[in-house]
Amino acid sequence: MLVKPKMFLNLALGILAAIGGFVDIGDLVFNTAAGATFGYQLMWVIPIGVLGIIVYSEMSGRVAAASGKAVFDAVRERTGFTAGLSALIASEVVNLLTLAAEIGGVAIALQLLSGLPYRVLLVLGVIGLALVLWVVKLEWMERIFGYGGLCMLVFAVAAVKLGPDWAQAGKGFIPHIAQNNPWLYMYFAIGLLGAAMTPYEVYFYSSGGVEARWTPKDVGLNRANAIVGYSLGGLLSLALMIVGAAVFLRHGINPEHLGTIALGAEQPLGGVGLLLAIVGILFAVGGASIDTVFSGAYNLAQFLGWEWGRYRNPAGAPRFALTWLVLLVFALAIVMTGVDPVMLTEYAVIFSAVALPLTYIPILLVANDPDYMGSNKNGPVANTLGLVYLVVILVIAVAAIPLMLITNVGQN
Amino acid sequence: MTKLHLGHNILDHQLLDKDGRRCGNVDDLAVEDAEVVAILSGPGYWPQRSGRIGRLAGWIGGSRRVRIPWDEVAKIDSAVHLRRTAPEYGLGKGDDRVRPLLERIPGADR
Repeated sequence: MLVKPKMFLNLALGILAAIGGFVDIGDLVFNTAAGATFGYQLMWVIPIGVLGIIVYSEMSGRVAAASGKAVFDAVRERTGFTAGLSALIASEVVNLLTLAAEIGGVAIALQLLSGLPYRVLLVLGVIGLALVLWVVKLEWMERIFGYGGLCMLVFAVAAVKLGPDWAQAGKGFIPHIAQNNPWLYMYFAIGLLGAAMTPYEVYFYSSGGVEARWTPKDVGLNRANAIVGYSLGGLLSLALMIVGAAVFLRHGINPEHLGTIALGAEQPLGGVGLLLAIVGILFAVGGASIDTVFSGAYNLAQFLGWEWGRYRNPAGAPRFALTWLVLLVFALAIVMTGVDPVMLTEYAVIFSAVALPLTYIPILLVANDPDYMGSNKNGPVANTLGLVYLVVILVIAVAAIPLMLITNVGQN
Repeated sequence: MTKLHLGHNILDHQLLDKDGRRCGNVDDLAVEDAEVVAILSGPGYWPQRSGRIGRLAGWIGGSRRVRIPWDEVAKIDSAVHLRRTAPEYGLGKGDDRVRPLLERIPGADR
């Protein structure tokens, strides 16, 4: 087969954007805190979460390519009006919490760079995001924030430079339960899985496939994007946990502030490391803000049958555009109260873990429907993995809130 | 496949007008003598679809009801394609009402 250079370039660009776009505030908070609390003991959870997001993103992308349907079209068609509406409400609440947390993250990163007051930067940050959403094409948004987010790779360099105990880190890949404080350990395990498999990533990914007008021919591109992009993104999660273990656990620091996480890169790499870390965090949470706010608008528009998508200008999909504007204002109102974005992140991740089955079950059902999928319906590998992860997700959904209560949101 | 069977398969599917515009969903179906005679679309039909949550959503969404005779269906694939444009059926009014507001902001038509 002839390799077309342009196609390869597009794939490479897409993958780079996916790496930069993988980590959001939930991954930042949970990976670093897990490292700072349990060292390398939770490393094994990261590949499980990454494989889960690969399985369901690939499936939802394939549904988008084969049928032109994004997730919430499928949710309503497969689960009916009542269950679909319940799923919609749950997903909108979780999305809004996540959006508020990401916006808080944007303001914190801007504050570290500029020293201006937090609330001023919240407002400026939201105005900046709204401008980007209003004028920049989706493809370019993904690139700008994805490539900017590549600055996060400084954490990978930091992780290596810190000279961690690799034998100890390797042992962390063997699943086990810590003897000291097992409840907190399980809370972190669920938080790590929830952060890696956040539902908005799947909403955004599948709607993005429809926006890019994927056809059945793009099934291969979809698979490559999901597997390579998320795997490499997962390496960043590992790096964050190593930094958490090697810097914060060693010094007994609990990284309760995003700025503290950035200091993890300063310790081995100095001022340049710190600057790259902050810029990387800014682009990562900024990009995640865009993904979450669009996901909220995608879901509502798809459930109600409105015109949607950024491939149209705002006037071409009016209620879709109005929805993301309103969501931005709501999220701004939440963080303006002064609620701690890191705390908000923990709630958002735990509640999204509860909402996971509502998203993933309909995708699995549609991906098995020959009327929609034709020859692209799930094969044995996708179905086996899909079912295994369905069990994982159900366990997470049931355990998330009790663990949150037992551990007082990870405080003890 | 009987018409009724087909009807149940399109419940909750996307409606597309003749230009491919997304203009609502199949919110319910009108059935007479075990035959689907019309597609029903609009928040006014939500309360009859489900209990409390449907009534709440209908209360928020308003009482708009649009009835599209079955003969207006041109094609069914993963969506339901209609023969005419959305405004001719009274569909897509929400989008049409919001559009002028957004068009006052520069760049809305980029």
